[in-house]
Amino acid sequence: MIIILIFPLFLAGGISFTDYNLGNKSLEWIGLENYEKMFSRKTYVKMIWATATYVIVVVPISVVLGLCAAMLLNSLRFGADIYKTIFFLPVMATLLAMAIAWEFTLHPTLGIVNSFLANGCGGAREFIFGFHWLPWVDSQQSWYHVACANNMDFPYWLKQKNTAIWTICFIGIWQAFGFNMVLYLAGLTGIPRELYQAAEMDGAKSTWEQFKLVTWPMLGPTTLFVVTITTIRTFQVFDTIEILTKGGPSKTTYVMMYAIFEKAIQQNLTSIGAAITVVFIGFILILTFFQRYIIEKRVHY
Amino acid sequence: MQAKQYIGESWKHGILIIGAILVLLPFYMMVSMSLKSQQEIQSISGGLIGAQEVQTFPVCVKTGYSEETCTTKPYIYNYWFAFEKAPIPRYLMNGVIVTLSIFIIQVLVALPCAYALAKLRFYGREFVFSMVLFCLLIPVHGIALPLYVMLAQAGLVDTYSALILPWTISVFGIFLMRQFFMTVPDELIDAARMDGMGEYSIVWKVMLPTAIPALLAFAIFSVVAHWNDYFWPRMVITGNRDLFTPPLGIREFRGGIDSDEFGPMMASIVTVTVPLIVAFIIAQKRFIEGITLTGMK
Amino acid sequence: MGTISLKNISKSFGSTEVLKDLSVDIKDGEFLTLVGPSGCGKSTLLRIIAGLEQQTSGDVLIDNKNVNKIRASERDLAMVFQSYALYPHLSVRRNLETPLRLRDYNSFERLPLIGNLSPNKKQKTESINQLVSKTSETLKISELLDRKPGQLSGGQRQRVALGRAMVREPVAFLMDEPLSNLDAALRVHMRSELSELHSSLKTTFVYVTHDQAEALTMSSRMAVMIDGNLLQLDTPQEVYDNPSSLSVAQFVGSPKINIFKGSSDSSGTVNLLNLNLKRKSSETNLELNIGIRPEHLEISNQSDEDTFSAKVSYRENLGSDIFFHVNTEDGMNRIIVRGIPQLTHEISNGSTVNIKRAPNKALLFNQEGKRVQFNNA
Repeated sequence: MIIILIFPLFLAGGISFTDYNLGNKSLEWIGLENYEKMFSRKTYVKMIWATATYVIVVVPISVVLGLCAAMLLNSLRFGADIYKTIFFLPVMATLLAMAIAWEFTLHPTLGIVNSFLANGCGGAREFIFGFHWLPWVDSQQSWYHVACANNMDFPYWLKQKNTAIWTICFIGIWQAFGFNMVLYLAGLTGIPRELYQAAEMDGAKSTWEQFKLVTWPMLGPTTLFVVTITTIRTFQVFDTIEILTKGGPSKTTYVMMYAIFEKAIQQNLTSIGAAITVVFIGFILILTFFQRYIIEKRVHY
Repeated sequence: MQAKQYIGESWKHGILIIGAILVLLPFYMMVSMSLKSQQEIQSISGGLIGAQEVQTFPVCVKTGYSEETCTTKPYIYNYWFAFEKAPIPRYLMNGVIVTLSIFIIQVLVALPCAYALAKLRFYGREFVFSMVLFCLLIPVHGIALPLYVMLAQAGLVDTYSALILPWTISVFGIFLMRQFFMTVPDELIDAARMDGMGEYSIVWKVMLPTAIPALLAFAIFSVVAHWNDYFWPRMVITGNRDLFTPPLGIREFRGGIDSDEFGPMMASIVTVTVPLIVAFIIAQKRFIEGITLTGMK
Repeated sequence: MGTISLKNISKSFGSTEVLKDLSVDIKDGEFLTLVGPSGCGKSTLLRIIAGLEQQTSGDVLIDNKNVNKIRASERDLAMVFQSYALYPHLSVRRNLETPLRLRDYNSFERLPLIGNLSPNKKQKTESINQLVSKTSETLKISELLDRKPGQLSGGQRQRVALGRAMVREPVAFLMDEPLSNLDAALRVHMRSELSELHSSLKTTFVYVTHDQAEALTMSSRMAVMIDGNLLQLDTPQEVYDNPSSLSVAQFVGSPKINIFKGSSDSSGTVNLLNLNLKRKSSETNLELNIGIRPEHLEISNQSDEDTFSAKVSYRENLGSDIFFHVNTEDGMNRIIVRGIPQLTHEISNGSTVNIKRAPNKALLFNQEGKRVQFNNA
């Protein structure tokens, strides 16, 4: 029964050492060649780089945002349910559809983001989003001001090398944080109120002290779980990449799942795809065990 | 004291409202574009629903429809044309078939397994359970490629089976139901045995009814995951439009419709996204509970 | 010093009023128990003293200083919670240290690593360590210091919770049903320990319980609260012997006091059942509730004008005492009588017995439950 899951693991391992392509009658044992290719060719280095960037950006931000949102909602006197519903919508919605919706929202000519920015040239929006309020930003040199000056040359968010991966990350965070928020909300309701009162009696005056003494440690198991599941999910990012960037521009968003798909299915290079699969699974397993091992010790009581 | 609390409260609402706007932005864009005419979309005017002026749509006429049919309000045109251009009901139907079959088979497999793991003593039970725990860590998407190779060898690519088979054994479902069954008292099962039930009828007549809340949670989890899944259908359905699931349908639209016909495209996207969202808004408590329950083990 | 004064405290949650204009003066060093059935507002009152809850009106004074506007963390009180509320992720030692660290270290010294650079930290740490080890010795929990709360038994957690309150020598201890999560035997044992602790610390204790036995055994004074009202505040003996109202009389004492319907005639002579109490009520011609505690009734061999007969329905043998649940002949009253085992062991269920009352022990209450005095004539 479990063969459906375990066997493919070995199959992938096996194929990765051959030059097998789907439809071939014969196959040849080529040893580590696929892996050598993977670690020497620029494409694959970029692939690892893109995946790592995505995971490292999306996981912490979506976890922290989820926690902040949960704590804000928890302290609210009214209206919490409405925000909860709204923030959870991206989790329920078909990601692919939402990716397209984002594509148009961020569209250079049709999107409301860029039109919003363009209409704000010289106004308060330029001040806020151009970071003119930061002391070290020269208001004549800020990205916003320059874009305004150059005939509304705002970023083509998804088509530009320097913004594409961050835009994809943003959509990833947008999609993931509601889920984390809901898990944290459940975790927060599990903290006994008496513990906060005890902290208050013990002299924990500020919200921050109470957070440090009670909330954060009590949310330990939730955090462990949230981080693990978000990591696994972000590793599997595919929908947004396939529909929005196809790994480009110049492979800055070439994440592993997309690489597997492109190599194995579109280009029919099954054995390379298998090698990527093996590395991919390896990454996930190592990370999961690492998290379990490191955090489990500190989390349980 | 009171004033201070008000300030604190409104400050929080301020932050949350900004967050909510960011979250809702693409939804707004999607709905708005599905209602407006092409000109309004391109000039970014007309607010949420546009002016809704009756007009004749050139692409429609070019496709071969009479001028009369093509003269209508933009929102009617967008949705009508979306349904004309692509078999959306078919896509939705496929979505229903696939998600329901996956869920039903998952339950048929998971319940007896979970029951055995939780309540029966047999040789190697601990080993099997530790295998389940291990498999829990393997993301199915990760092993998609070898699964695909296996299915290809079996000649199943481009069939319903390809869409359904890999998901039938949900390790997660087994694990979840096992955890739930652990909380069911042994006395209940012993009582059933005393009443003369066999192990299979215990599973279906005793355990199934007690497991309804957990099953519901799992159902929500499973249906949401598979309705929205894009990666796997994209791998195994290569050309046959009759087998397209809703996300594949969306993709087809994006590539298929003339690039300057955004209205109908967005209309189709809204149509595909709406069923789950409406279900969610109606039963949001259940949904959130379900996701939380499955999330927290 | 540790005096606490509550002046005209009221508290409502929405439209329900849980505390109604309560005033209590708690003396320095006394063991004051707030006792009452659940839902009477006693925990709310304790939380108002602690500052965890804000009163709707009225003043709280600690050491004659109005603390209405002062937060719980700055009132210098310590509290023991019903669920103990220990930090589950911290060792016992850290649990004990926490209140000291939060008060003694400034925010810089609490930073990890860099905080150690502060010149005073070492000294402060030492004094903290000393206080922790002193407290843990007093409570006999020294060998538990490196465990986590999850690894302790209920009684041990209870001690740690006490220890956390004790380490920093607060103005007063507030205890919210601290024994209710323990098993029966341990609870009785902890009563004596708490009493001893109180007499050795000589600090003010404010103790909330729904168990009248705890109130009677431990407190120097007890405040009986019912439905948000303070009904009586006095020493346990006085409350027991001389309850101010029917509700207090019924709440305090186990088994419950027996209540008879009776009346006083025009001369004030009190009658119940067929008995004449031979004492005169201060008020004449009144329908009365007459309370007699089980230990003031006894089973007698002969029947005379001071006895009435009743049928035993249930014999409750506690070993040291036997309580007889009996029905009076008119079927109107079901009462409890204490019997001495040696004298009553052959009486069984269903037999009819004569019941005699001890003289001068009856308590009179009018129809509203107010106490009515006897004429001392």
